[in-house]
Amino acid sequence: MRLVAETTDNDLDNAANDSPVKGARRTDEWSECITLIARNEDRAAFTRLFRHFAPLMKAFAHSGSTLSANHADELVQEVMLKVWQKAGAFDPSKAAASTWVYTIARNCRTDLYRRLNKFDTSLTAEDMGYEDETEETFLLLHQQRNRERIKALLGDLPNEQSQILVKVYMEGKSHSEVSAELDIPLGTVKSRVRLAIQKLQIQIER
Amino acid sequence: MANFHPETDLLTEYSAGSLPLAQAACISVHIQHCEHCQQLSNQLSEVGAALFDNLQPQAVGDELLNSVLARLDEEVPLSYAKPEGDGSSTPAILQRLISGDFSDLSWKKLGSALRISYIRTGDPKHEFALYHIKAGGRIPEHTHRGTEMTLVLEGGFSDADGTYHKGDFIFRRPEDVHAPTAVQSEDCICLAVLDAPLKFTGWKFRWMNPFLRLKAA
Ligand SMILES: [Zn+2]
Repeated sequence: MRLVAETTDNDLDNAANDSPVKGARRTDEWSECITLIARNEDRAAFTRLFRHFAPLMKAFAHSGSTLSANHADELVQEVMLKVWQKAGAFDPSKAAASTWVYTIARNCRTDLYRRLNKFDTSLTAEDMGYEDETEETFLLLHQQRNRERIKALLGDLPNEQSQILVKVYMEGKSHSEVSAELDIPLGTVKSRVRLAIQKLQIQIER
Repeated sequence: MANFHPETDLLTEYSAGSLPLAQAACISVHIQHCEHCQQLSNQLSEVGAALFDNLQPQAVGDELLNSVLARLDEEVPLSYAKPEGDGSSTPAILQRLISGDFSDLSWKKLGSALRISYIRTGDPKHEFALYHIKAGGRIPEHTHRGTEMTLVLEGGFSDADGTYHKGDFIFRRPEDVHAPTAVQSEDCICLAVLDAPLKFTGWKFRWMNPFLRLKAA
């Protein structure tokens, strides 16, 4: 699992064709960039990361939201700056680079919404998270498999389910906001979310 | 280990960052106690990450890149350095909201068995309060005008549906009626997040209903 941090540029190029996990190369490239930033304050690596993620963040900022173009740009800047500043805390054995970046973007957007709505609070969205402390290899492996499975199954969801997941995750809307917007009962929104989560094979037994 | 957990749809909103501040804070305290929900919310965040990867990228100009590059030497805000756990049993998120421990808070007496301390979170639509119920004490039977999240921080309590211990999470909807009673062996402290005031159903306390206001902020 430590493979990522120790892979050099060369290895990445060579591994492209016979990588055991299809599609893993791209993900590894971004982990590599973040690691280079943490180790060497590598601006070239940062620029590569920016060119890939900033356009996604801009799309994220504009997803169904009321953010102005200026605020969307502000969000992109803020997230990328945090990526630079927090790179040292990134552990490629625990998180995929894109998940890590997404989490920062999600938290920054939540905080930006709250600032724009004049919330007077000492809590940030990051405070609501938790440190993922697991070091157990089998759990980490499990997480990686989950990630790949979720990505693969997402494309098979019926439209009425994926549409709601997009509204909840990308547009940051609560289930009741989605219910009002699509003019369908709240219970239907919740059951579609549950069905989607089931289809993604996310384990929920307790 | 907790036995009562938030439902999946609530955890989905939590991991998407779309829950109101006070509710998200309550869930995060449960998650600190519950490895199971930790794992689940990890997986639910992967859903967000996968959807993020699938977004249609929008062109970003070089000026934006240059202005970020120009800011890379900025001093890192101190707030990024997470305070180390100080061994206190108070959950980290509550430590951010209160100074000292529970005994330093100002408590308001409500009847003989119940004391309430309202905590400011900055969420204008939700009341965020600690309830201290004396061992064996009973909260008058009530229903809800909105939703109520409860999380047991110390001790335990029971109602008609079960007995709840440290870390357990209970979500009540407007139609649910209950009269929680603290366990006999020790006092119970729980965190309650309301989006509308309670409504007492017993004749002894019904007179209070018109006077109950949500203490949100
Ligand atoms: Zn749980």
